[in-house]
Amino acid sequence: MRFTDFTAFDLVLLAQGLGVNLALFLGTSLIGLVIGIAWAIVRYYRVPVLSAFITFFSELLKNSPVLVQLFLVFFGLPGLLHIRVTPVTAAAITLSANTAAFVYVIAVSGIESIGRDQLEAARVFGLSRWQVLRHIVAPQAAAFALGPLIALLVNQLQVTSLISVIGVVDLTKIGNILNMRTLKPFVVWTAVGLLYFAAAKLVAFAGSRFEKRLRAHSAWRGL
Amino acid sequence: MIRVENVRKSFGQTPVLDGVDLTIAPGEVVSILGSSGSGKSTLIRCINGLERLSGGRIMVDEFDVSMPKELAEARKRSGTVFQLFNLYPHMTVLGNITLAPIEVLKKPRGEAEARARALLESVGLGGRADAYPAQLSGGQRQRVGICRALAMQPRYLLLDEVTSALDPEMTAEVLTILAKLAQDGTTMLFVTHEVEFARQISDRIVFLDKGRLLVDLPTKDFFDNSGGMAQPRVAQFLSKMRKD
Repeated sequence: MRFTDFTAFDLVLLAQGLGVNLALFLGTSLIGLVIGIAWAIVRYYRVPVLSAFITFFSELLKNSPVLVQLFLVFFGLPGLLHIRVTPVTAAAITLSANTAAFVYVIAVSGIESIGRDQLEAARVFGLSRWQVLRHIVAPQAAAFALGPLIALLVNQLQVTSLISVIGVVDLTKIGNILNMRTLKPFVVWTAVGLLYFAAAKLVAFAGSRFEKRLRAHSAWRGL
Repeated sequence: MIRVENVRKSFGQTPVLDGVDLTIAPGEVVSILGSSGSGKSTLIRCINGLERLSGGRIMVDEFDVSMPKELAEARKRSGTVFQLFNLYPHMTVLGNITLAPIEVLKKPRGEAEARARALLESVGLGGRADAYPAQLSGGQRQRVGICRALAMQPRYLLLDEVTSALDPEMTAEVLTILAKLAQDGTTMLFVTHEVEFARQISDRIVFLDKGRLLVDLPTKDFFDNSGGMAQPRVAQFLSKMRKD
């Protein structure tokens, strides 16, 4: 066996790298979902100043490259605040914030998709703003947002490949190392690409299963 | 008693209600007639607090709808039925009707559902409690809308052109129910284009024109040549409606 051979063990290495991506993806998606939805609720309550700040901040995150955000957190923050930021921490912060910004936009459009007439009906019967959110807005907004959210998550999974640039040993980074060792870029990057593909398909599949189950429970029409 | 006192409402520069006075006593059925844009719906929306008054005062019993703290009480006393039903599409018929009684009046679910089923039975929808709004016809949806308002046991029922979005057959379904409610002594403020029906069920008829209350007369006098018909605007409106 020669040093430049692509072996079965290399596949195990790649799988380990994929594990790093998946772990970061799951963690940051969860944090991003919670933060993004919390931001949308702040906006729903029309909290002055804070709502405007959140909208501005999410615009910054949505309209600048994730790679630049990653550099800012990894290289910029430590210099400014005199703290140490590990690559994994930087990746976690950046991806969580970025996911939150997009979740925020999806959640807001979900909330705004609810017809004014329903909200008025709820108000005249005396429901509080929180009761309207819980019983009228949230269930319908969730159904509305599910499709875009799944698409976002599939995309955010691919975005995790950027963390290899700041030194997190993930699937892409391991692919890079194997590439330099084996000098077989076509084989290595095909394997890497297929692994991302499989993971993305898995996320999309899980998402659509969840969506179907939700819809089977309710015969909602016109949504 | 609902008291509307010198109420004014403008949208931007456009006045929609221009000094309206109106009193509705318990047990009365009052119909509001007038052409589109005369301010009929806006008046209802002012009474249930969906629009803020530009001037004047509205009292529902002893509660001033312009006071945020009193509005909640005022809203508990009046129930609104909307032109476009405004049902919650993700909830069953039963869910639509019981939501406010459970959440606002804090009724136990069992009690709220029993009352909702009784109401549905009374409007001929006993078997549709578990249907979703989209599975119902327009007339059925509006009957659910009426049940939803009645489930709050309101003292006053506000009806905002509740048959305008329905075809004649469905309109008849809904009007039959309203006639029954009127007979049972339900207090109703009824904005409508159904002149003949208003004539049958109303104690009083009010005519709005360009935001002003032109006529407020007992039904019999309203259609009398020396009463409402003496007003050229009313005579013109009624002759047009009858032609249609």
